[in-house]
Amino acid sequence: MIQLNRNYTLPEREEDIIPIKVIGVGGAGSNVLDRVVLDGMDKSDLIAANTDVQSLASSVASAKVQLGRSITRGLGTGGDPELGFAAAEESANEVREALSDARLVFICAGLGGGTGSGAAPMVAQIAREMGALVIAFATLPFTFEGKRRSSQAQEALARLQGITDAVVCFENDRMGDLAAPKAGIHQAFALADMTVSQSVRSIVNLIQRPGIMRVGFDDLLAALRGGGGRCLFGYGESDTDNRAHEALDQALRNPLMDRGRMLEQATRVLVQVSGGPAMTLSEVEILMRELNRHISDETQLLFGTAVDGRMGNRLSVTLISSLRREDAPAATPPVRRPMETHVAPAAPQPPAEPSPQPLLAILPEQSAALEPAAQENPAVSAKTKELLPLEENSPEAAPVQQNEPEQAPAAQAAPEIEPTPAPEPVARPEPVARIIPPKKKPPLAPDYTGPKVLPHPQPEKGSREKVARQETLQFEPVTRGRFEKSEPTIVEGQDLDVPTFLRKNVRVK
Amino acid sequence: MASNDLMVGLEIGTSKICVVVGESRTDGTTKILGVGQAPSRGVRKGEIVDFETAMQCVAEAVADAEQKSDLMIKSVYVGVGGAHIQSFNNRGSVLLPDDRDEIDEQDVEDAKISAREVSIPAQNAFLHCIIQHYHVDGQDGVLNPLGMLGQKLEADYHIIHGVRTRIQNTIRCVKELPLEVEDVVFTALASAQVVLSQQQKNLGALVIDMGGGTTDYILYVDGAVKQSGAIGIGGDHITNDISMGLRIPMARAEKLKTDEGSVTLGNCLPGETVVLKDDSGFAGKEIERETLNTIIHLRVRETFELLKKQLDEENFINYIGEGIFITGGCSLLPGIDHLAEDIFEIPARVAHAQTMSGLTSAFQNPQFATAIGLIKYAQAVQVERPQRRGLSRLISKFLPGIR
Repeated sequence: MIQLNRNYTLPEREEDIIPIKVIGVGGAGSNVLDRVVLDGMDKSDLIAANTDVQSLASSVASAKVQLGRSITRGLGTGGDPELGFAAAEESANEVREALSDARLVFICAGLGGGTGSGAAPMVAQIAREMGALVIAFATLPFTFEGKRRSSQAQEALARLQGITDAVVCFENDRMGDLAAPKAGIHQAFALADMTVSQSVRSIVNLIQRPGIMRVGFDDLLAALRGGGGRCLFGYGESDTDNRAHEALDQALRNPLMDRGRMLEQATRVLVQVSGGPAMTLSEVEILMRELNRHISDETQLLFGTAVDGRMGNRLSVTLISSLRREDAPAATPPVRRPMETHVAPAAPQPPAEPSPQPLLAILPEQSAALEPAAQENPAVSAKTKELLPLEENSPEAAPVQQNEPEQAPAAQAAPEIEPTPAPEPVARPEPVARIIPPKKKPPLAPDYTGPKVLPHPQPEKGSREKVARQETLQFEPVTRGRFEKSEPTIVEGQDLDVPTFLRKNVRVK
Repeated sequence: MASNDLMVGLEIGTSKICVVVGESRTDGTTKILGVGQAPSRGVRKGEIVDFETAMQCVAEAVADAEQKSDLMIKSVYVGVGGAHIQSFNNRGSVLLPDDRDEIDEQDVEDAKISAREVSIPAQNAFLHCIIQHYHVDGQDGVLNPLGMLGQKLEADYHIIHGVRTRIQNTIRCVKELPLEVEDVVFTALASAQVVLSQQQKNLGALVIDMGGGTTDYILYVDGAVKQSGAIGIGGDHITNDISMGLRIPMARAEKLKTDEGSVTLGNCLPGETVVLKDDSGFAGKEIERETLNTIIHLRVRETFELLKKQLDEENFINYIGEGIFITGGCSLLPGIDHLAEDIFEIPARVAHAQTMSGLTSAFQNPQFATAIGLIKYAQAVQVERPQRRGLSRLISKFLPGIR
């Protein structure tokens, strides 16, 4: 399936690394962290935090924090979130120390138990207080673990959603599908960890990888905003002749994607296509056209593409989105604010490399991308500027302009694409094009001679969509099969001879 | 062996016709001497739709049973079912004349007649009239009022009735063979005789006989029948659903259902498939197990929910102390007991005939429950112990001159 042991380190010239820390809280969090370590992620510090000393000792993370030294005395929390919370409170200083200097903090936690549910929100709070952007990767327990656990998990999830900038939520139930039917249980769990790890790594890569059309935090947050329900995540890569199709197919086949069926309901979908220098425009075009069949007309696409020399012959697709949960529509406001404040200082390093194009225009527009009304650029930019002063509260606050170098590698990478019409450097600072307003050509990019990926699929989208829809509809005449000629059994107006699954509209096959 | 100790139960089911030959023993047990069966044609939803074909099938089954038991079958007890069977409870009462205060048989008979004096649809006929309890001068729960002193005798009856012509069709089908029809019995009532012990009836139990064409049910509380009826949905519907859902022929669907089907959802490994072999034995179509189970589950769930709705019209289901007993061909579907438990919130189990000797394979198969139940019923009727309530003899209006 998806190969996880490949390590996409950035090119050495990458100097604008955002200080990222990944902290695994609790047993499940540590497991995921171990997996991240094993898969290799060299651009970030990995910290394991747990109440259980034994589990902590076996972790391979570079830094470790024992939570609640005196409260739990090195034992676990026994599934009590309050104890977990108290333990994190006790060890707040150590956590703070461990997370110092981080601009971006990923928290991995398995919700439902004591440490994960109790301590993770506390850790998130600490990270937020230190001015970092916080994204939590939470796994929800299997249904068979009981209602109590899942209610604890929901509670913790709600708290995390209130504190963090975004929560990527994994349902263990659905990740169980990952494993081959006959795989052992340890393998199933390992695969679940791998999925989380994979998404942590791909999100980090996504943000840090230079792009022709870059995907930033803002896009990520926009894609995840309003989530709280399901996180849709898919990743696929391929190096065959038909790699565009296969990579997308793989990404959609990810169990968290539900074969792409869920995508239709998503309001925003982040897509990043990256490949080696040989990636062609037509490949991206094919891929996007195919993806368009899986999303609805109203879906906003946050598109990014990157060329990475290390990808070699491969082409990879990352899809991230989240479904709004009907009962939790209010998850948006807390997420939105920090997004704008934190994007700016993300890259404090000065450009050490010859970066051909300092793209000043990008920042405000990227922020604009987050706004639902993306077209209202001036207003949004103004808003961003208003919000900027907030940033000065945090000690590490950096001037806005320092963000520019983050964009620089994009320009470098661009010339590597040979088959692609070389993007005009002047044209590039139009990242608005990443947002594809459905059925509209990007109005702000008339001179976008670079990857003409986006405009192409657009006009065809409507008709293609219809075709796709038709395939999924079941045009089945209401028949009664062998009871055709017998006296119908009618109860409450329903002809019970018609198969139940037809009457209840349950799709089979 | 006196010939009147021999009893034959004949059930004309939707999927097959079962004939069970049994012998009543002096110690009250029943020994099964032979079982004959033939696939049923011309029967839909428990009712005969093609008289000639059905008759042929009955003849086949009877011949099979005769061969296996090495006996000549002359008269049979016939089970009748079908969605047309309905039931209700009614109370009859008799006032004794002033000069007499001892209740005699005539008074009991009068009470029964008075209980029957209700209007049932014109085309319907009484099938069973089962005594529940007697009340003598307001004293409840009298089991046997004969010889008691009182002025007013009341009797609660459970009355089962069905469409006269349809019952007569079944009888004619057998009589033309020619075989004598000793009695016609509602199938669920027959099944209950073999599935439930007297104690279980006293504690309260629900028997669901999910056969090929119909799902019959009968509910006992305090040892008496309180509710009974039938729904015109059965195993054939499941097969039909599978056939249509998976687009495979009926015969394949039937085999797939019996071999691989289950009502339990989420129990199979993701992506697990069943390979449907074609006629030559080569692997043919692959069917996802979960899809198959979903189709079955939805149908069975719906049937049970429908049944629950019918049972909920009266409050008796809350008095079930023993649980639900599922029998009939569909009870062979794995997990059906758990689904019933889930829906009715009462312990449920798959039941087969008890307290029998002879061919074990016969009475351990729930498909034979009704036919064996017919023998048990016959046994109770022949012994004619008046205290065996719930087993009134039936010589109905529509059957003059049979006996």
